[in-house]
Amino acid sequence: MLTAVAQAIVNGLLIGGIYSLVSIGVTLIFGVVKIVNFAQGEFVMIGMYISFFLATRFGIDPLVSLAVSMPVLFVIGMLLQHFLIRRVLALGDMPQIFLTFALSLLLMNVALLLFTANYRTVETPYSEAAIHLGGITVAVAKLIAFVVAMVLSLVLWVFLHATDLGKAMRAAAQNRDVAMLMGINPDRVFAVAVGVSLALAGAAGSLLMPFYPAYPMVGQVFVLMAFVAVVLGTLGNVTGALIASLMMGVAESLGIQFVGADSGLIVVFAMLLLTLAVRPSGLFGGWTR
Amino acid sequence: MRRPRGSGGLWLGALILAMLVLPQIVSNDFAIDIFIRVLLFAFIGVAWNLIGGYARQLSLGHAAYFGLGAYTSTILQIRFGVSPWIGMPAGGIVAMLASLPIGSLCFRLRGPYFAIATIATAQVLMLLFLKFRDFAWGAEGTTIPDLGNAPLMMQFEAKSAYYYIALALLAIGLAITAWIERSWIGYYLVAVGEDEDAAEAVGVNALRIKRNIYLVSAFLTALAGTFYVQYIYFIDPNTAFSFNISVEAALVSIVGGIGTLWGPVLGTVLLEATSALLQSWLGGSHGGVQLTVYGLILIAVILWRPAGLLGVLTDVYRRLLRAGATPAKAAPIDG
Repeated sequence: MLTAVAQAIVNGLLIGGIYSLVSIGVTLIFGVVKIVNFAQGEFVMIGMYISFFLATRFGIDPLVSLAVSMPVLFVIGMLLQHFLIRRVLALGDMPQIFLTFALSLLLMNVALLLFTANYRTVETPYSEAAIHLGGITVAVAKLIAFVVAMVLSLVLWVFLHATDLGKAMRAAAQNRDVAMLMGINPDRVFAVAVGVSLALAGAAGSLLMPFYPAYPMVGQVFVLMAFVAVVLGTLGNVTGALIASLMMGVAESLGIQFVGADSGLIVVFAMLLLTLAVRPSGLFGGWTR
Repeated sequence: MRRPRGSGGLWLGALILAMLVLPQIVSNDFAIDIFIRVLLFAFIGVAWNLIGGYARQLSLGHAAYFGLGAYTSTILQIRFGVSPWIGMPAGGIVAMLASLPIGSLCFRLRGPYFAIATIATAQVLMLLFLKFRDFAWGAEGTTIPDLGNAPLMMQFEAKSAYYYIALALLAIGLAITAWIERSWIGYYLVAVGEDEDAAEAVGVNALRIKRNIYLVSAFLTALAGTFYVQYIYFIDPNTAFSFNISVEAALVSIVGGIGTLWGPVLGTVLLEATSALLQSWLGGSHGGVQLTVYGLILIAVILWRPAGLLGVLTDVYRRLLRAGATPAKAAPIDG
């Protein structure tokens, strides 16, 4: 029993690392640009397909192709901000949500047209490998994904706190108007924020590839989780999103273990609704909307 | 919302007449099927528009009510032999009851928080119905027993019968919307939609008005659920609580024009016509084309006409009227 609990917690934390990359992306865009990106999961999907094709065509390991997927998605993010998001910033919630929503619909279905609905997997030497620690099994591919995800989160934290651009981003997130008065160029800061956030989604995609199949709708799995984590962690709060993602992963995993294989999501959504009922601004609140 | 009354009534009469005779002229089942889809989704859009459009509460969870309506009437019919004609309003009442706790939870949230919470409620219901194996057939779902031509059980051999039911539903939805639009409730709703805090400040009880309109919206959406199940003779949690239903409800309104009487209707006609054309043009084999085009249309509308396409139509109509009235002068164009 105790091993089962420990095993579920370990599994949950490992997948929670991937959730955290997606939800940090969502929360970063929301914090800086004030838009909820419903298409974030589709950028995970794009990252997965990039790694899949590099692996099958050129034999490049998905972990190496991180070096391709992240910059490619960074550029896509800058373009996305420049050509689409920038144009709806003044329009209010409804058009903004629907723009990213339409983008999600579009990307999923273009992927369906191009790649069909087939599940694509990549076999790596470590895909099946596992470490055994006193009754607990740790899948190597998931462990690597978790470690890289945590390293990337740390790099992001350092970037946000130690570089001028990162500080400008946090300033813009706190108060856009004052930040502009202080000479921060919002266009540039916004574009970088969206770029970084998509690069994280791309990284999640590449990290998933050794142990998770790619298919056009795969992003939906991760974006739902990310939303819950982002709301629990308070929209716009990067650390909150990270902690909440790990919690989500563990909650889901415990739900699967002890309520039933199809109950992971019920536990997660129940947590969300409960939190919203008790603390509408998330666990790390302070900000009241 | 002011418009020329006299010509409006005439147009409306002509439209109703045309809709009534349409299935007598077109007897092709494929075409009637498309008309039924248009009417049904326009109706769902109209129901969504009450809360999503007038009160600007972006619900992405209307599938919850669609599914509850569908399941209520189906369970009543198969387990207790109750006619769907009774099951339909019963489903509406169940949906209304469900909307109370859902509303009290979600209405404290705003903007994106509200949207995400509504998605979660619909998903939770879907997951629960997947678990109700003994009581509601679980993931496998069930087929509705085919009784042949049984009007009392809402089953017909002629497709046109379904057409008239869907048409009646849409007419009811539009009539309710038109009445609300003209009453004080409509003004309150628009005030809440534009600026909730300001509305509260001048004495509107925002929470109550949102809850009341949500009741109406949930009730109507549930009727659509019952109708849909009776029409396709099948129910399972994935179709009844499909996220696509929630999306389509909002989508048609956004494309046509949210917070307008005819917006959802126009949006549905455009989207379903596009989808039908694509289907007959490409055949059924190209999964993804239809939604790709939906995505493109939606992005184009948001960037070009965020208020929806109904505005474009009325602009053109007004310009034509003006050009007709003063042929000598160029019509002044106002925004």
